[in-house]
Formats: sequence, C-alpha cells, structure tokens
Amino acid sequence: MISRTVLLLRIAFRNLMVSPINLLIGALILFGTLVFVLLGGLLDSLSRSMERSVVGSLAGHIQIYSAASKDDLALYGQFGNDSDLKAITEFPKIQEAISKIDGVQMVVPMGVSGALITSGNIIDLTLERLRDLVRARAGQGGREELTSLSKEELDAQIHAEILHLRQIIKVLRGDADRAMADMLSARAVDPHNLEALHRVEKDEFWDGFEADPLGTLEFLENRIAPIVTDTTLIFLRYVGTDLDKFQHSFDRMKVMKGQAVPAGQRGMLISDLIHEEQMKLKTARRLDKIKDALANGRVIATDDELKRFVKENRSQTRDIVLQLDALKTAEMVKALQDALGSKETELDHLLSALLDTTDENFQKRYDLFYALVTPRVRLYRVNVGDVLTIKAFTRSGYVRNVNVKVYGTFAFSGLEKSMLAGSTSLMDLMSFRDLYGYLTADKAEELKEIQKDTGAKTVSRENAEAELFGEGAEVVAEATPGIIDPDTAITSTGRRLREDDLIKRVYSQKELDDGVMLNAAVMLKDARQIDRVIKEIQRVSDEQNLGLKAVSWQKASGLLGQIINVFRVLLFVAVAIIFFIAMIIINNAMMMATIQRTQVIGTMRAIGAQRGLILAMVLIESVVLGVLFGGIGMLTGSGVLGAMAMKGIAAPNDVMYFFFSGPRLIPTVTTGPLVIALVIILFVTVASTFIPAWMATRISPLRAMQADE
Amino acid sequence: MSNGIVTIQDVEKEYSLGATVVKALRGVSLTVEKGEFISIAGPSGSGKTTLLNLIGCVDTATRGDVVVAGKNTAQLSERQLTDLRLNTIGFIFQSFNLVSVLSVYQNVEFPLLLQDKLSSGERKKRVESLLEQVGLNTHMKHRPNELSGGQRQRVAIARALVTDPLIVLADEPTANLDSQTGQAILDLMKSLNQQKGTTFIFSTHDHKVMRYANAVVRLADGKILGRESPELAVAHAVGMDAPAAPVQAAS
Ligand SMILES: Nc1ncnc2c1ncn2[C@@H]1O[C@H](COP(=O)(O)OP(=O)(O)OP(=O)(O)O)[C@@H](O)[C@H]1O
Ligand SMILES: [Mg+2]
Repeated sequence: MISRTVLLLRIAFRNLMVSPINLLIGALILFGTLVFVLLGGLLDSLSRSMERSVVGSLAGHIQIYSAASKDDLALYGQFGNDSDLKAITEFPKIQEAISKIDGVQMVVPMGVSGALITSGNIIDLTLERLRDLVRARAGQGGREELTSLSKEELDAQIHAEILHLRQIIKVLRGDADRAMADMLSARAVDPHNLEALHRVEKDEFWDGFEADPLGTLEFLENRIAPIVTDTTLIFLRYVGTDLDKFQHSFDRMKVMKGQAVPAGQRGMLISDLIHEEQMKLKTARRLDKIKDALANGRVIATDDELKRFVKENRSQTRDIVLQLDALKTAEMVKALQDALGSKETELDHLLSALLDTTDENFQKRYDLFYALVTPRVRLYRVNVGDVLTIKAFTRSGYVRNVNVKVYGTFAFSGLEKSMLAGSTSLMDLMSFRDLYGYLTADKAEELKEIQKDTGAKTVSRENAEAELFGEGAEVVAEATPGIIDPDTAITSTGRRLREDDLIKRVYSQKELDDGVMLNAAVMLKDARQIDRVIKEIQRVSDEQNLGLKAVSWQKASGLLGQIINVFRVLLFVAVAIIFFIAMIIINNAMMMATIQRTQVIGTMRAIGAQRGLILAMVLIESVVLGVLFGGIGMLTGSGVLGAMAMKGIAAPNDVMYFFFSGPRLIPTVTTGPLVIALVIILFVTVASTFIPAWMATRISPLRAMQADE
Repeated sequence: MSNGIVTIQDVEKEYSLGATVVKALRGVSLTVEKGEFISIAGPSGSGKTTLLNLIGCVDTATRGDVVVAGKNTAQLSERQLTDLRLNTIGFIFQSFNLVSVLSVYQNVEFPLLLQDKLSSGERKKRVESLLEQVGLNTHMKHRPNELSGGQRQRVAIARALVTDPLIVLADEPTANLDSQTGQAILDLMKSLNQQKGTTFIFSTHDHKVMRYANAVVRLADGKILGRESPELAVAHAVGMDAPAAPVQAAS
C-alpha cells in the first residue's frame, strides 16, 4: 500500500516535469495562494487591529441597545447621521442581569449624540469679559477671581478691555474703508453698520461709558458684534457615559491635557484631536502641521499643501490682530520688530513677515511664533477649565443649553491621529441626559410635585414658546431633564449659582445608573467569547423581558465594521477567479494528458492495475501539483508577512491609524488562512481533475495493444 | 484434447462498426499446454491480436468459451479479470509500452507493486535477478528513452516475467526491431521458456519468427487453418505472404 502510494507520487512528480503547461498551472496556483495567504493574512491582521481600535475606543466587545430602536446601532454614524435609538430606562436591572452572565466584565452605559457649540467671536468674548468686570465692580457678584479684585484693579482691567474693544473697532473700520474703496464690494457694506462704526469710533461714545456702562455694552452687542462674522460653530460629537467605568474599561484612553473628570461629577473631556484640529488658533495649527510634514521629509518649496498653509498664515493674521488690545499690540510690534530686525509698524504686516516661512527659516519662525505670539492670544477657543455651553435639540424638540465644564482632553493611545476614533468627546451621564431631554416616568412625577408646590405653570409642548417668552412666565427648572428650558426661565444670577452648584455636585452611582441611556458597551474577559455572550444576552433579555438587542463590536461600528468584510469578499472573489481559471486549465491539461497517456494507462490496466489505481494516479498528480506550488505560495506569502511584521507597515495617512490601531500594522502569520488555502487547493485540484481521472479509468486495457497513433 | 493452460472452444468475436459487424474470429478452438512456446501466425487482419486479447483476458469473446488457468473468462467481473491478468499473465507489446517516466528498475518492479505481495527486499532481489537474466542489470537506473529498441523490449520481457506468470503473451514482439535484434529477443524468450517452463504465446506474420516456435497456429480470416510445425508453417506462409527472405537457421 505504502510502496504503491510512493509509486504513484513518483509517477505524479515525474509527469509534472514533463509537461510545460503544469508550470502555468503551478504559477496560477502559486499566485492564487500567495495572494490569498498574503492579503488574507493582512486582512486578518487588519481586522484584529481594527478590532482593537473599535473595541478599545468606544464599542467594547458587545453593544446592547433597545430592540425597539428605529435604526440599527452605528457607533461611528451611518451616512453621516447618528442612529435613532430608543432610550433605555431600566439600566440597573439590565446591568444586574448582564453582569451575571459568565465572562462579562463590565457594562458601561452610553449615549452618543452631537451638538453645536459656539465659541463666541472675539468681540462677544471681549464684551462678555467687560460685562463681568462691570458687574463685579458694581458688587453684583460673579466669578470669584473677579469679585476678589480691588476697585482699582477692576478699573484698570476695564480700561484695558475698552482699549481692546477700540482696537477691534479700528480694525473693523479699516475693513469697511477698504471695502468702500472697491466699487464692487462697496454695495455689500451696510450703511447701517458703517454708521454704527463711525459712532463707536469716536471718543465721545466712550466718554459716556462710565455714566451708563451697561447701555454702552448693549449698543456694542447689538450693533457692532453682528458685524464680526467669524463666529465659529463647532460640531461636537460626544458620548455620554459613566466616565469612571469608561476610563477603567477602555484602558487605551489617556488624558492628554488637564485632568480626568472627578469621580461622580459633571464634566467633559474633549477629544484631543478635535481640540487641536478645530479649537486651536488656525495659524498655530497650520504651523504644527507644517512642522509635522517637514519632520516627515516633505518640503515647503515643492509641496502645494504646505505652500498653501504658508500663504494662508500670511494672509489670515486678523484672528491674531483682533485679539490684542492697544497695549499688547504695541508690545508685540516691538517684539516682532526686534526679532525680525524690521522697521515695519503695522502688526499685520509684521505677522505676515514672521509667517513667511521657508524650509530654511521654519524652525526659527515656529519657535518665535510660540514665544512671542501665542502667550498674548487665546491659543485654543476652548481651554481646560472652561465651561462650555452646549446647545442641543432634546428628544422633545426643544433647544436646550447645558453648561459643562471641560476638565481636559483625551486620546486613545495609538489612535491619537485617527479622526474616526478621535471624533468623539466624552461627557458625564448627567449632562448627557440633560441634553437628551428624556423624562422618565418617576422624574416626570417628581417634576409635577415641585411645580405644584411652587405654583408654577406646567408648560405644554405646544405652547411652550409662548409661555416661556411670555410676560412673567415663572417656570421651575430641574437639573434632570424636563421639557422645560431652564435657561430661559431663570434669572442670570440664579442660573449662574445653580450651575456652579451643579458643576461641583458629586453624583452617587445610583443616580448615575438610574436614568436614561441609549446603549451600553459590554466588556468581556475574553474577546473570543463574543458570540456566546451575545446569545446569552439575548436569552436573558427574552427571559426577563428587557427588550434588548446585542450586537458584536463589528456590527455596532456600522459600515466601518463592514469594510474589512467587504475587502474580504473582494479578496475571495479575486482568489475565486484565479482558482476558477486554474481549474479550467487543470481540467483541460489533465484531459489532454489523459488522452496522450492512453497507451500507458491501457498498458497499466493490461498488466493488472485496477481502475482505482488509475483514478488515484491522475488525482494525485494534480493534487501534488497544487500542493507543491500552493505550498511555495503559502511559504512565500507567510515569508512576506513575516518580513513585514519585522518592521510593520507604516500607516500611510491618519485614517489608517484607526485600521492599523496605531502608526504601524504588525501583520501576524496565523494558521487560519494557511489551512483554508490548503483546503481550497485540495478542492480545486480534485474537483478539476475528477472528470479526466474518471475518463482515465474508462481506458480499456485493449488500448495497450494498439500502436501509438 | 486435454485440459491445457489455455482452452478455447468455438470462439467467435465480433466487432460492430456502426451498422456493420466485423467478424474477427469465426469459430476458433485451441488448446495451449503448459510450457509451450507457440506462435500464432497469419496475415494482417487475420485475427492474431484479437485471439491474444481473448487469451490475455483484456477482452471477452462474443460466443464460445475462453478458459485461462482454469477460469472461464466470460464469468469473471472486470475486477477479477484484472486480477487474473496481474497474477497469471505477462504481456510483451509490439511497441514495448514502458512507462517512460519510470526507470528500468521501476518499470520491472511495477507489477510487483500492483500485486503487493512481496516485501521491498524480496522485490529488489526479484527485479535485479530478472534484469540480470535479460542482461540489463547495468542499466537499472536508466529511463526507457535512454535505451535502444532491443533493450527496451528486454525490459518489457523482464516486466512480463517478474511476477512469474503462467503465460506470457507477446503480440508481434519483434515487429519494431531490426531482424538481428529481433532474433536476440526471441532467443531470450526461448531460453526463459526453457529455464522456467513459462508458456509463451506470440503472434507474428514473419516466418523467420515462426521458426522459433514449437508449434505454429496458422490463422486466416478469423479461422485457424491448422496447428503445424514451424517448417510446415513457413512453407505454407511463403505462398501467402510477401516474398520470403532466405530462411535463416534458428540459433
Ligand atoms: N476494435 C476493433 N473494432 C473493429 N474492428 C476491429 C477491431 N479490432 C480488430 N478489428 C478487426 O478484426 C479483424 C482482426 O483484427 P486483428 O487486429 O486481430 O488482426 P491482426 O491479425 O492482429 O492484424 P495485424 O497483423 O495487422 O496486426 C480485422 O479485420 C480488424 O479490422
Ligand atoms: Mg495485430
């Protein structure tokens, strides 16, 4: 038996040498296997690293959400929208049930949403500061750092802010004059605005400030602030979550600036990437990007993008100029004159000269910018410690403002540059719920009680607006969400006090758990248990009527999670085509070979070989061909993968950071694709040779007697 | 007629070619005794190969009985026929029919591997002794295409005899060889016949070849004309075949 197998293998090997078409078939099989093993291995590695990214950044291993939701959960959004999920209100019960399932480590409640935040334009900000100062001076309260100042100090600061305002007005006036000088754009200048600018430019206007500071401020707010159109709306995607649990479960998360939100408190951590990309002074951001690009070997002289950055930096100096009052302007002019050895007196020209960066002077200018310019301006629109006013549409259709303190910024290690992982900021659950505006049954009851006590009116959804803006409307605000907009209802001072209070308040775990959420991440002890735990969750949910749907991280990441599968399908199609062609050629070649070997096969039959032996002989021949060349393909593929693993594949762009789960993808050689490749090869060779092999068994021993044709 | 090693009784063989039926053998009866060195002679188309095919169990008769080594071939399955061929019959072909990708040694070993009865050591001894008998023990590693026609036919003879069969069938074994080489091959066959007592049945239309036989069965048009001594057969054959070359004596 063994010696007979050896004989057949020997015949197979030697026959392979004879026919040159086998080289072609071999090459095809080799190529197909190489592609399969190499790309399959890469996709597997990609899928694993993406799993690390998705699981480690937002999704956890499994996501649960209400089965009654309108949409499927898509954590990274689907077609640019967040999915419409039905709120879950029984989290404690759900948590208890799921935590009992074997292999579950933690359940982290979540809710993904988005809101616009406005970082007011420069004149708004200056006016607000001035208003605070005036109020503090009048003894009307305000932030501690202001109320603790002496009257003289407050006077000095007010004076400085006034100078700043007048500086801004001068710049605006300059803009308007330039526009008027140009016939085409002159029409665009509103004469109404022009008149206002003329008025506030005069000393007489400011002489009246002390007599009626608030009236003056109101005029500026109403007439001048709207002229400055550079208000920036920033869209902030955030996930409301139990921040402590989140930090423990997603251990790749690290605080980049500032600090973590104190346990149980309200607050948010902004994605560091968003903070850098969208909240940083544009000029500084562009300088950072140029610096990065130069470090990566790009050169300004030949790089269109970098050239554009330089050009934008030189022309867009207004952002900086507007931020400076007269004093600071003079300081900076002096400093820049010294640094650049220039006699130029206009700040914007000096800045433009400073930012005229080339490959030669870049590092020096960069350092100068950060030494001379940034300390005198707001580098970020939002700073650690700021309280952000977040506007969001509640579920009940109202715009709600919720103030949330920014404690810091965060990133996921390895994914610092990935927009996909870094587009979402973190918010505490309480603030999230306020913004989400969902009223649980008992909260609604509670709210009714309070309203009854204070004799406040209940505001129905239909006439809410009229009520709220109507004369003397008196409505109760509640920290937990209601359909009432508390911002509009409460006086500013009261509001401020209440908000300070809210920011400092520490919530108990029960308070955190007891409320609405949209989805939850289930962290497992072992990632390989995903399928089993999903089944368990479904079973528990059915048993206890929890109405949950559990999906793997892959499904939860929406289209993103399907990308790898799409590539995998493409690879399979490509490999299938290669192997299909191989099958056709093998089939033809073996058919030809069988016909050519009619006499030999007839002879073997005549001298006593059974049909089975002939069948085995032909099959073994193509199996040997397949395994031989497929084996070379597998070895080469694994070899290339291994070689790639030594250095890793550098992520070509920021998007790939997410898929690579870091700056480099380290592919691993696993047996999975090899085994599949072997099975495919065996199938392909046997299936394609079956007909010729069967034909061979039908060759009559009589053919041995007949002379060769 | 005694029970020979091959007994053929009233055998007819018909081939159908579309609508027409070709009668290749028309009532043939023949007995071959053990140890005979017998020639089947006749002109082209007379049915020599057809007869050998029936004896060799690669084909079955349309009518009549073919009994080989005590077995009626008409009653055997395809599988059993194959086994019968493997264990009782050796074949020598006109065009040698060696497996070109196997060495001389491996070609001779082939039937032993099919039988799978002997250990590899015994096989080696057997193959080497046969190659020595055909004078090719120095060429064991050669491939068939590195050998002359005569050498190839010697390999084929060794392959036919390696299983120690009862009967060796050879269909015009010398037709592809020049006359000298052909004679050497016949000498070899004859000596093996004498040494081992193996029955040889070979076909030819060459009267030089007939001379080697103990007896010649003369076929014409699918019928046996008679079983004669070689001398008589040659004399008969001269009349029907191409002009005969001067008769050379057997060795
Ligand atoms: N497979 C076949 N199909 C149809 N007719 C056949 C077949 N084999 C042989 N014949 C016919 O049977 C007859 C006998 O043929 P056979 O091959 O036995 O003759 P032969 O004596 O061996 O001739 P040659 O000396 O030419 O080899 C011939 O008429 C031949 O045409
Ligand atoms: Mg013939």
